[in-house]
Amino acid sequence: MITTGKTRLRAVFIGTLLGLGACVADAMAFESPQDGVYTDRIDWGMTADMSGPASAAQAPWGHGFQTAIKAINEKGGVNGRKINVLTEDTRYDATVERVAYDKFVSQTPTLGTSGMGNSSAQTALVPLIKRNKLPVIGTYTTAKVAIDPPTPYFYGGFCGFKEMAQVGIGFFTDHLKLQSPKVALVHLDVASGKEYSSYVEAAVTARGGTVKSIPIKVVAADATPQVLEILAMKPDYVAIHGVPTTAILVIKAMKQYGIDVPAFAITYLGTPGVYENLGPDAGKNYYFVSCFSPASSDPKAAAEMAAAADKAGFGPLKDDINFVAGWVVGTTVAQAIAKVGAEPTREKLADMLNAGFTANTSGLSSELKYTAADHEGLHGLKPLNYDYSAKAFKSYGDYKDFDKYLK
Amino acid sequence: MLSQFIFSGLALGSIYGLVALGFTVIYKATQVFNFAQGMLMVCGAYFAVTASIHLGLPFPLTIAFILVGAGILGIAIYFLLIKPLGGQALLPMIMITIALSIILRAVIELIYGGAPLTLRLPLPSGVFVLGDVRISQLHVTAAVVSWLCMLLFIVFFRRSRAGLLMRATADGYEAAVLSGIRVDRINAAAWAIGTMLAAIGGVFLCQLQLVSVELENIGLLALPAVVIGGLQSVPGAILGGLLVGLIEQLASGYISPKARDIFIYVPLLLILFIRPWGLFGQKELGRV
Amino acid sequence: MSNGVTAYLVRLRHNALPTTLRVIGVAVLLAILLYLPYVLQFRSIFGVRLSNMQLLNIGLSQVNLTLISIIGAVSLNYLTGCAGLVSVGHAAFFALGSMVAAATGMHLKLPFLATLVAAMLAGAMAGVVAGLPSLRVRGLYFVLSTLAIHFIVVFVFAEYQYAFHDVTGVAVGDAKIGSFEIDSGIKWYFFLLPITVLSCLLMRNTLFHREGRAVLAMRDNELAAAAAGIDVRILKLKVFAFSSAFASLAGALQAYYLSNVAAEMYSLNFAIQFIAIIIVGGMGTIGGGVIGAIVWLLLPSILMGAATEVKSGPGDFASFLLAHRPQIVNLIFGSIVALILIFAPHGIAGFLRPLWQRMIGGLPWRGRT
Repeated sequence: MITTGKTRLRAVFIGTLLGLGACVADAMAFESPQDGVYTDRIDWGMTADMSGPASAAQAPWGHGFQTAIKAINEKGGVNGRKINVLTEDTRYDATVERVAYDKFVSQTPTLGTSGMGNSSAQTALVPLIKRNKLPVIGTYTTAKVAIDPPTPYFYGGFCGFKEMAQVGIGFFTDHLKLQSPKVALVHLDVASGKEYSSYVEAAVTARGGTVKSIPIKVVAADATPQVLEILAMKPDYVAIHGVPTTAILVIKAMKQYGIDVPAFAITYLGTPGVYENLGPDAGKNYYFVSCFSPASSDPKAAAEMAAAADKAGFGPLKDDINFVAGWVVGTTVAQAIAKVGAEPTREKLADMLNAGFTANTSGLSSELKYTAADHEGLHGLKPLNYDYSAKAFKSYGDYKDFDKYLK
Repeated sequence: MLSQFIFSGLALGSIYGLVALGFTVIYKATQVFNFAQGMLMVCGAYFAVTASIHLGLPFPLTIAFILVGAGILGIAIYFLLIKPLGGQALLPMIMITIALSIILRAVIELIYGGAPLTLRLPLPSGVFVLGDVRISQLHVTAAVVSWLCMLLFIVFFRRSRAGLLMRATADGYEAAVLSGIRVDRINAAAWAIGTMLAAIGGVFLCQLQLVSVELENIGLLALPAVVIGGLQSVPGAILGGLLVGLIEQLASGYISPKARDIFIYVPLLLILFIRPWGLFGQKELGRV
Repeated sequence: MSNGVTAYLVRLRHNALPTTLRVIGVAVLLAILLYLPYVLQFRSIFGVRLSNMQLLNIGLSQVNLTLISIIGAVSLNYLTGCAGLVSVGHAAFFALGSMVAAATGMHLKLPFLATLVAAMLAGAMAGVVAGLPSLRVRGLYFVLSTLAIHFIVVFVFAEYQYAFHDVTGVAVGDAKIGSFEIDSGIKWYFFLLPITVLSCLLMRNTLFHREGRAVLAMRDNELAAAAAGIDVRILKLKVFAFSSAFASLAGALQAYYLSNVAAEMYSLNFAIQFIAIIIVGGMGTIGGGVIGAIVWLLLPSILMGAATEVKSGPGDFASFLLAHRPQIVNLIFGSIVALILIFAPHGIAGFLRPLWQRMIGGLPWRGRT
């Protein structure tokens, strides 16, 4: 026993020595970075939940972002430099998000960072974002404190809950020709659900209607209690906030109880997976509002993205609005870097964006525009649903048609 | 309203009961408090995906595939992880099941990807209307199948020779070894059965919603079910599952969905104080 | 006194180095600890710049978070490893600590350090309550009572958060001592390091006193301990209060470090990670908690860094691995934990101890009995 133990220890020692040796050898090839800008490449950070509880939505976003950058690099990169994405998997953990952010600031410096899809973690980082001056461009979710008041170092990249509520309520109230709409709102009993609930309430009250907010758990196995409340209320239409499972449980249970009213969900729930699960029967009355266009809803605008997605092995994701959102942010980042000029720095990038910047998203999203007073970026949304016979998403008009609902 | 909540609560509770029963079988045989039970349930759902979508098997063969797959998985877990730890203290045994669930999750995401999948099995999906109560046929099927499995297990456990050996081993490990029972085989069988029961529960849950690793969290509701019913008790696990299902529906329906955890865990604390061996368990070591 | 306690004390004596060596050892360790934050902050050692992987992909904020986790892990190890009370509800005290720190800071306007003390006091009181089931049940049943407590505390936290704070979480105030604000990684490091070291020493030293020996005796044989005149019931509650106070302190520190905490953070997984830490590190010793926290928090990042370095490889398989890097890291990580459990049942500390002893003069290692 003792000899084997000794052998094992010796093996461990030798292994450690070899590892150290390799590290020392590596020290020769070292280049001092300036804001993550090197002679041939630019380092850019990206954080997303690639393997944790929110990965079903955020991993496609991450893949969309990476695919966009890959496509840009294949066309020669930005001003002669390739963009090198440093991905950090945050597992929806606020401490890991913090570590990743600090890493991009000084450990492996990057020119900027994107993603940051955990709103509590983002809120916690706001003081650091202001202090460290590392531009955060294109976030998967945008916390209120991050953009109000705006800081030169933070720029959102997803439709806001407020706009989702306004466009959704406005469109359905007019579409169904209602004077004072009765709306049932099913929302998660977590932070963002509460926030969304307040926006829906404001939008419905503005139209002289009534709203009943019905909470549901993230880990729900069944939506019977919620749907019975909907049944008792007899609403004109239903609004849904949650995770894909929430939408599936609610819509299926509504069908079970014979509630035949339309339902619209937040952008995050407009994925092909949800429609596929619901099937044509239950899915035909399920809509969502989005500031991104899934590939099949506008094949012309999405041609470049679709080709790149197929090439990168993410073909099945191109109809997922999360993937589209990641792609849009990726192209936006590249355009912003290009506009800064040959020698980009964090400071120049932040100044340029703060002075006003409009990205060309080639119709894959509503207008993405930052001004000194507005760092949210995307405002316009449109309602969509899925046409099962054509196997494609169908939009109910253009983004501009619904700007009248935004306040 | 009330009857509606009771029906859906019992249906869900049956699934929890099934998963909890699998948990109890494993616990009785090997004294492992299996935190990976939820993940084993998820494995059942993904076995169904492989059989039905990837292999294109017809429905009866899909069922067979799930059961065989789950059985092999259970046996493999026993011989690779549980047996080498061989009767260590409580905490390492709990920890190994946590490590197991990290590993299983990673493997599933590697094979199937992280995005939730949709699986359609030819199970009834319509609605029964009884007066003003509407019952989903899927719920009824889930409940009926769960009860059949539980019945089958109880008959096996009480009447068959293997069941007898299993009970004997659970009652006294040394005595079982001395009387020539091949304890390893019995324990491996218990893991296989426990995994199969969880897998069946997983198949129904993924029909109610999506195939996703996040189903694990629902599977973990089997833990309070087991404790409320009594850790060592087979009927206790089933009734505990039903009770948790009922509490969940009634609490969400009449108070708030957030209240669910409170209404499950506060009674659990009370039961631990008053009857630590559970509602249906036998009084044993438990007390100081 | 039980056999286990004697063995423990004998072991402590055997582990002791000659005084001069010990002084040198402590001085070297201190020098390393004092220099470490500058190395990590400026990514260079004595002016020689190091690449990210040469510093193992580790940054200063990971080290700071590790210091906080060490307090949490060591306090759990005190409760579980030293006193034998297995708890999966440790995250509840973390949550409680951060909640009390935020609440006393906001509603009572207490200064930073006072909120830390308040968090510790609240933790100690809650620990007594959480320890009550231990008077009635033991083993697995007790584990489950701590699980129940976890869910109840998180529920209360969420209600508090929604009632008084922003939906994205509970914002704690700035970490200010007088007019001095702890606002950089290095300042945090030098604030956390003494707190962590003191907490560990305090917990370690209690084990040498009468009460601490009684704790070990209780773990090894409760009946014998009771027969020897130890009031096991009071002792259990004391241990619980002591351990929970430190867990709450760690929770409050973490809240200040992150500046904003939300109920969602304190999931069951968060609680489970502390159990994993003490098992990986080694149960029943203070060093085990420290080593475990270091390994658990830093290893995933090292694995991830190594995985990022692997850029090229042959064909489809390499690109598959690259696309699934997080999953591979989780897989390796889970496997390492399983291997440690099976092949090093006393954790890394138990694995290193014989090595350490051979180094300092080769007294045979005596395991816990």
